Amino acid sequence: MSTPTTAAPGAPVVDFDLAQLRRDPYPAYAELRRTAPLAWVPSVGRHLLTRYGDIVHAEKLPEVFSSREQGSLLLRTVGPNLLREDGAEHRLLRAGAEPPTRPRQVRDLWADAFEKNAHDLLERIAGRGEADLVADFAEPLAAANLALVLGLRNATADDIAEWSRAMMAANGNYADDPDVWLRAERATDAIEEAVAEIAGAVRREPDGSVISSMVHADMALSAIQNNVKVVIGGGVNEPRDVFGVGAQALLNRPDVRDRVLADPSLWKRVFEETARWVSPIGMYPRQLVQDHEIAGVALPAGSRVALVIASGNRDESVFERADEFDIDRPHRPHLAFGGGPHFCMGAWVARHEVSGLAWPLVFSRLKGLRLDDGTEDHMEGWVFRGLTSLHVTWQAA
Amino acid sequence: MPIVIFQLPDGTERKVTAESGTALMQAAVSNGVDGIVAECGGNASCATCHVYVDEQHTALVGPPNGVEEEMLDFTAAERRATSRLSCQVRLSDALDGLVVHVPEEQV
Ligand code: HEM
Ligand code: FES
Repeated sequence: MSTPTTAAPGAPVVDFDLAQLRRDPYPAYAELRRTAPLAWVPSVGRHLLTRYGDIVHAEKLPEVFSSREQGSLLLRTVGPNLLREDGAEHRLLRAGAEPPTRPRQVRDLWADAFEKNAHDLLERIAGRGEADLVADFAEPLAAANLALVLGLRNATADDIAEWSRAMMAANGNYADDPDVWLRAERATDAIEEAVAEIAGAVRREPDGSVISSMVHADMALSAIQNNVKVVIGGGVNEPRDVFGVGAQALLNRPDVRDRVLADPSLWKRVFEETARWVSPIGMYPRQLVQDHEIAGVALPAGSRVALVIASGNRDESVFERADEFDIDRPHRPHLAFGGGPHFCMGAWVARHEVSGLAWPLVFSRLKGLRLDDGTEDHMEGWVFRGLTSLHVTWQAA
Repeated sequence: MPIVIFQLPDGTERKVTAESGTALMQAAVSNGVDGIVAECGGNASCATCHVYVDEQHTALVGPPNGVEEEMLDFTAAERRATSRLSCQVRLSDALDGLVVHVPEEQV
């Protein structure tokens, strides 16, 4: 199969300033949805697919829209893994890894330890009266919880967070910076070593973790190591970003905050609406394995497509006033967790750690919690998007 | 080629013809039946393809399987004795005329 790195015949060509896209991609996406719902974007090297309906169509056709993208930077960083497999191979890898992340396991196996992690982190900062909740709370919490679910008791939350950052940087290393590859290699070497050690231990004594589950599904050590890398790469930022963006939205809207505090069942709505509104993963790649027409363009086999779920989640034909954060909007399924066989494996983990534990705890424990007027927090990113910081103050008691 | 009737929350119904051997979820999605979201595409990991099997057919359709059983605790609409994940129900000629009710919400 050839790999066209140019536009499919007949596809409109639109280019963007990537720096602008990183600051605020939404005006560009709105324009694409209106005028060119499938457009070749040279600076991205892919066709961007931006309408909700077309994205759902592609997600539901994995036999056409393959996850085995040629030349993928993720493959280079991590090696073969479940996120970049299709069909029966994918099913096997996923079946081995998934059981500990299913909702009942989250509730029965992990919820208590997640809560302890959140408490411990909060106690470390409670006396200070001010913090950056992204760096001081949400990121270390997501990392500590991930270590637990994976079964990496030989790694600290700091290790996990650093490994995650190093691999994420490499996945976006289109500039081919050798230092970025080196840092990622150090991270993946360290992960391989940590996983090998745990794999030996859980073979004798299963512990319910993702590594243990994969070991007892008789997966090869290299497959287990690579899947763990993917989970670490994709399991820290996203819950961190939903936490930060949702917390800021509520601090900006005391009326909504008060309603949620009075009716905790609304945290679930806050979660789904925040996930829609920010889309921590803004887009992900697919490659066509056969000719297929979509959004009025006949794409030949080999075409590269990016499913821009951040745009689908703002599609005004599905979500009224889509740019507004509104927990009362009619329930329509958002696309933030992806769809089809690669539907996020950590969805239930993320829902519970953020909306079941972290938000309720922070908003009840930190009295008089408010945004710090003296600092400017902003969102950034289009492939991955979130707040780079969230400075808050409260009455330290 | 079994026929399946989806009763929608707004009181209307959709009648679709499906291939024997396909999943009930697939019959809904291929025919654009509203309210069957099926985010995970049939892998029993999302709980957004929830249906209530009509009382007259629950015995014929049978109980949920193991993985589905635990997932049903996490559906958006309340779980009932007749709840199934439609991706885990395989259609056959024996199920011709099956009636299922689509819940109010899936997420
Ligand atoms: C709110 C938080 C999260 C969001 C928005 C999110 C989003 C996504 C998306 C969009 C995909 C699909 C990518 C694709 O199809 O190419 C995905 C896959 C995945 N996610 Fe998440 N994720 C989140 C949290 C997590 C967490 C906490 C974990 C780990 C516990 C995790 C583990 C994974 C894995 C392993 C996959 C690959 C699944 C497969 O290929 O079958 N995610 N996620
Ligand atoms: S389609 Fe996801 S559980 Fe049935």
